[in-house]
Amino acid sequence: MSESLTPPPAPPEPEAPPTTLAGRLALYQRAGGIATPVATALLAFAISGLVVLATGHNPILAYRDIIRGAGLDWLLHPWRTNTVETAPYNLTQTLLQTTTLILTGLAVAFAFRCGLFNIGGQGQYFMGLFCANWVGVSMVGLARPAHILLAVALAALAGALWAAIAGFLKATVGAHEVITTIMLNWIAYWIGNYLFQQGGPLQGAANKPLNIPISGDVARSAKLPVFWGDPDLQGLHIGFFVAIAMLFVFWAILNRTRLGFEVRAVGYNPDAAAYGGIKVRTNYVRAMAISGAFAGLAGGLDMLGYLYHFGVSDVQASSIGFLGIAVALLGRNTAIGTGLAALLFGALLFGTTHGLQSNVIDPSLAGHLTEMIQGLVVLFVGADLLILSIWRARGRVRRQAAAGGPAK
Amino acid sequence: MEQATVLEMRGITKRFPGIVANDRVDFDLERGEVHAVLGENGAGKSTLMNILYGLYQADEGEIRVHGQPVSFSSAKDAIASGIGMVHQHFMLIPVMTVAENIVLAIEPTRRGVYFDPESAETRVAYLTRKFNFAIDPREPVENIGVGQEQRVEILKALYRSADILILDEPTAVLTPQEASELFQILRGLTREGMSVIFISHKLNEVLEIADRITVLRRGKKVDTVPREGATEESLARMMVGRDVLLEVEKTPGEAGDVLLEVEDLQVVDDRKLPAVRGVSFNVRAGEIVGVAGVDGNGQSELVEAITGLRRAESGEIKVGGAAIHHGSARKMLDAGVGHIPEDRQRRGLVLEFTIAENAELHDYNRPPASRWGWLFPGKFVEWAERLIAEFDIRGGRPGSKAAVLSGGNQQKLVAAREIARDPKVLIAAQPTRGLDVGAIEYLHRRLVDERDEGRGILLVSLELDEVLSLSDRILVIYEGKIVAEHGPDASEEEIGLEMLGGGRKDAA
Amino acid sequence: MSTYGYLDRVVRGRVFQPKVVAAYGFALGVLAFWLTIPPFTTRSPIWPVLIGILATLAGVYAVSRGARRAGWGAVVVGVIGIGLGILATRSSAGNLEQVFTASLIASMLVFATPLTFAAIGGMFSERSGVVNIGLEGMMLMGAFWGIWGADKTGTWVGGLVIALIAGGLLALVHAFFAIQLRADQIVGGTAVNFLALGVTGYFFVQLYHGENIPTGVSQIPDVNFTSNSDHSAFSDAFGHLNLMIWVAMVLVVVSYVVMFKTPIGLRIRACGEHPRAADTVGINVYATRYMSVVVSGMLSAAGGAYLTVGYLNTYNENVTAGRGFIALAALIFGNWRPFGAFGAALLFGLSTAIAFRLPVYSASAATLFQALPYVITLIAVAGVIGRSIPPAAVGRPYVKQ
Repeated sequence: MSESLTPPPAPPEPEAPPTTLAGRLALYQRAGGIATPVATALLAFAISGLVVLATGHNPILAYRDIIRGAGLDWLLHPWRTNTVETAPYNLTQTLLQTTTLILTGLAVAFAFRCGLFNIGGQGQYFMGLFCANWVGVSMVGLARPAHILLAVALAALAGALWAAIAGFLKATVGAHEVITTIMLNWIAYWIGNYLFQQGGPLQGAANKPLNIPISGDVARSAKLPVFWGDPDLQGLHIGFFVAIAMLFVFWAILNRTRLGFEVRAVGYNPDAAAYGGIKVRTNYVRAMAISGAFAGLAGGLDMLGYLYHFGVSDVQASSIGFLGIAVALLGRNTAIGTGLAALLFGALLFGTTHGLQSNVIDPSLAGHLTEMIQGLVVLFVGADLLILSIWRARGRVRRQAAAGGPAK
Repeated sequence: MEQATVLEMRGITKRFPGIVANDRVDFDLERGEVHAVLGENGAGKSTLMNILYGLYQADEGEIRVHGQPVSFSSAKDAIASGIGMVHQHFMLIPVMTVAENIVLAIEPTRRGVYFDPESAETRVAYLTRKFNFAIDPREPVENIGVGQEQRVEILKALYRSADILILDEPTAVLTPQEASELFQILRGLTREGMSVIFISHKLNEVLEIADRITVLRRGKKVDTVPREGATEESLARMMVGRDVLLEVEKTPGEAGDVLLEVEDLQVVDDRKLPAVRGVSFNVRAGEIVGVAGVDGNGQSELVEAITGLRRAESGEIKVGGAAIHHGSARKMLDAGVGHIPEDRQRRGLVLEFTIAENAELHDYNRPPASRWGWLFPGKFVEWAERLIAEFDIRGGRPGSKAAVLSGGNQQKLVAAREIARDPKVLIAAQPTRGLDVGAIEYLHRRLVDERDEGRGILLVSLELDEVLSLSDRILVIYEGKIVAEHGPDASEEEIGLEMLGGGRKDAA
Repeated sequence: MSTYGYLDRVVRGRVFQPKVVAAYGFALGVLAFWLTIPPFTTRSPIWPVLIGILATLAGVYAVSRGARRAGWGAVVVGVIGIGLGILATRSSAGNLEQVFTASLIASMLVFATPLTFAAIGGMFSERSGVVNIGLEGMMLMGAFWGIWGADKTGTWVGGLVIALIAGGLLALVHAFFAIQLRADQIVGGTAVNFLALGVTGYFFVQLYHGENIPTGVSQIPDVNFTSNSDHSAFSDAFGHLNLMIWVAMVLVVVSYVVMFKTPIGLRIRACGEHPRAADTVGINVYATRYMSVVVSGMLSAAGGAYLTVGYLNTYNENVTAGRGFIALAALIFGNWRPFGAFGAALLFGLSTAIAFRLPVYSASAATLFQALPYVITLIAVAGVIGRSIPPAAVGRPYVKQ
């Protein structure tokens, strides 16, 4: 297989045709199987470990405690499922984060497959969250399935519309989606501040006299059923299965539908797509809208699944939408990769903070390891040359091994 | 004229992965001469010059400038030794002025700190007067024409006191008038004692301008000959290594109904300048209509307009008698227009897609490939297998990425897809560019066969030989207009002249 | 030439040139609103409406004569002038007195200064061909390590130096990945932002246990032109500005000179427009880009250091809170030019300054007002008012032959 990766036997072109981001990432996807992302993640963990070491903590013990904090030690005794115990409880919390990260990851991954970099997952997540809160709180009296379905559908729609603004601007006037989605994130951020602040339209009625800038709780009829753990202590809700299902939906849309065919063609080569009779601009809008729907769905499920309410300080602290970028890139924009990367980051997110019980490293310190690892992962994934050189070195080693011993 | 050798290259060898681009090439240049380097695309001309200009480093060999051995690790070193290069793609910054472009990296300064644009303009103006270039130093480069841009490039070299000037395919982008003006300039420069290396693959212009001619073939030097005594035939033989050009066996075509009709078509290019200016012609069933012309005379825009990839400003396109208004690419495909595009890698194929996906690039959206929006990958594979068998595509299975195919097999895949859709009209733009002889012969054969099947074929090619050997009717395009129409037996000289804007007569 | 002909030429040539008319329109639009606020405080809505209509007409004239960008700008300013003017005449004079005081200018400059530093920094990076959406992260590095340095060395000068080093180092990481490894620059910039968040957050906890920086850390001094008892308008606006505010203004002029009046600037721009052309005349594209990116990191860090060492005199987690992205917006809105970026930074600074005072009218309006810079930038990149054109080769890794 590695033969196809050697450069074509021709002198380098003076001006090589510009490939799209998706094209470059496709190159990365071909190289290295599962080894490259695993190596990327390990490298990021190792470098962060060095920081931990340099500041006087034992990184190995710290990572051990983080793994426990994430509840991954539950795998050692999987028959103990009662969340009164620490390990199963921590695992449910990790999977709660994983649920969100799968969806915010898909929001980035889907756009990537159309050649677009959606940094706007955070804003789209917010719009879904706000919308679900509004429906969940205000439309009381609906039957439970109807209330849930309506809230979830409108949340996804809100995310889709918010993202479609960027897609529309890209399609019509060529505005770069990175700039527009960054701006839309901050607009959503301030809308959130406005909605929940004292006197804001979504501030809870009971909170108004108390001057608390937090929304009301969603009605019982809009809360998602919990299947593992105590509903009052953030049990794992059925949104987890929705997220898993969305991985299949993502894969099916891309690989088994006309829409996916068009999106991928545009992502790899817009000129060839246009020549094939595909409307490139339409697909920019559609891909962004579908991306936004994933992120909006994430916000909706979070709101109805375990948050139930949201406040100004939550808006200011939230960054799970951004984490989707690292999830998608590490998962190489594939369904299965995104699922696994979401689990990894979900474990990190909970294992370094609320779940962490350690006398090696404090949760307030460890929490920032997630951000560091996130940054390093994104940094390394972006460097395709680095990855390719690792891949080529591997190929050389393999060939030398096949030739019987190292070459001089 | 003083006969001093200003440059010697001995035994230059340069290898790229899998190819020897230059194989022990010797080259020398004398003061005041124009020395042409002639060869086909890929013969190693550009590599040799990039080595001389310090952009590549030779693996073996020696370079002497004015008798001194030199070793260039960058363009900066070459410039310091008095070598200037005008690249095929101009190295100019559109938003900056002519003067800024010329003085870049050796700017005149005021008080040692500030850039001094007035002084730059004065110095450039001095040069333009000295060499009689009509050019305004203060004009931004984006506002001047291609011919003038080339002069700016030459000025860049002169400003750096170059006495050796390398010109890489300088006439490829020029109109005939501009080319003859360029030759005037070059003669003026050599009179001043400059030496010029002129890279080209065009026989006629080499014979016009060069004092000596070095021919390269597949990375090796064939010979260096003086212009006196050289003929187009003798040079062509050296270039390609055989006597005859490709001939295609075919019987005269029998033209049937009109399948494609283009009426007074006007199209603008990416810069909104008119590129196709009132073109009318038709293509009948069972004939190959060739469009001959120099690159950049509106061919690409014409093809894009007919295939729905570019909106026409005005005019009418009829396929099989039915007029198509505001034809999108999809409408044109559905109307029965097949298109082998001029750049198979950029447009004809999605290289990251599998062969099967590329085989269905037009028809993924209808049964049997898909139904109600849902794709059936098995059908993709079936169809790809049929094309692979029928068109003898080698080097990949339906599930392989198109990128792994060789150029010839990629083009076969494109042709297979287009022909197998059973189009009424097939538009083939540069169908054999960059292919090896075997693939060229296959595609030529196939085009003739499809003509005999009763399709109308529009062949747009920059290779006059290809147009002459395949076409039943030949249209000559010049500056966006059809300037002449010929039967299959037209003479190469006559068409060659018309392609350059000479011997004009009204189109039929 | 007759006198009449001469006059005619002057009038047609200068006074009615579309761009000049658009400038009148712009000024009239501002005037329409200005009349209604202190010190004039015109109470009748007729004046702002009348003058605003004139501004709009001037804009329409300019657009019809081909000055699209300037003309639409005047139209928009005219309409906004009418709107704000009417709002102001309906509001109580007392409230107006509270919002529109001379200290609003000082406040605008305070908010604009970090943006200016980062936007000018971004200009260097992007003009050389490297997209830098990591400005936010570099600013945050400067903010944290700046105050740490001021705390440890005991002087704000030390803090500033350490901030510059920290920002420069993070920029070096971005440069290494973007230039050497040819990583995607946008992905790399995103990574740099996360990395800065992690590093500053981690060390804030490690070094300060996440609590407040001890009070009394050396602060960048104010430049006092007037005595503290002076309450004139000039004194309120410019009398006691921080040193870094003046440095920022000088920086704008200096960076303009460097970028457009020196050989260095010409070469930086050449690398951002057509790196191969720069390479073929012997400019070291990699070195130029490295230098520019590092400069961008240092300037962004200076903006961050102003925030903590100069203005807040403390630090809290993620103190920059998206200012780096507003700086990016200012850079784009200012068309990658120093004065343009500074103008945009002032506009965004003003909107923030007003937002802080708006709660006297309405808390919700004050919050939504904070989103204004982002909305304006969204409109600007959409090309409604002309199109922002980035350097031609920005974002493309350069492969040396």
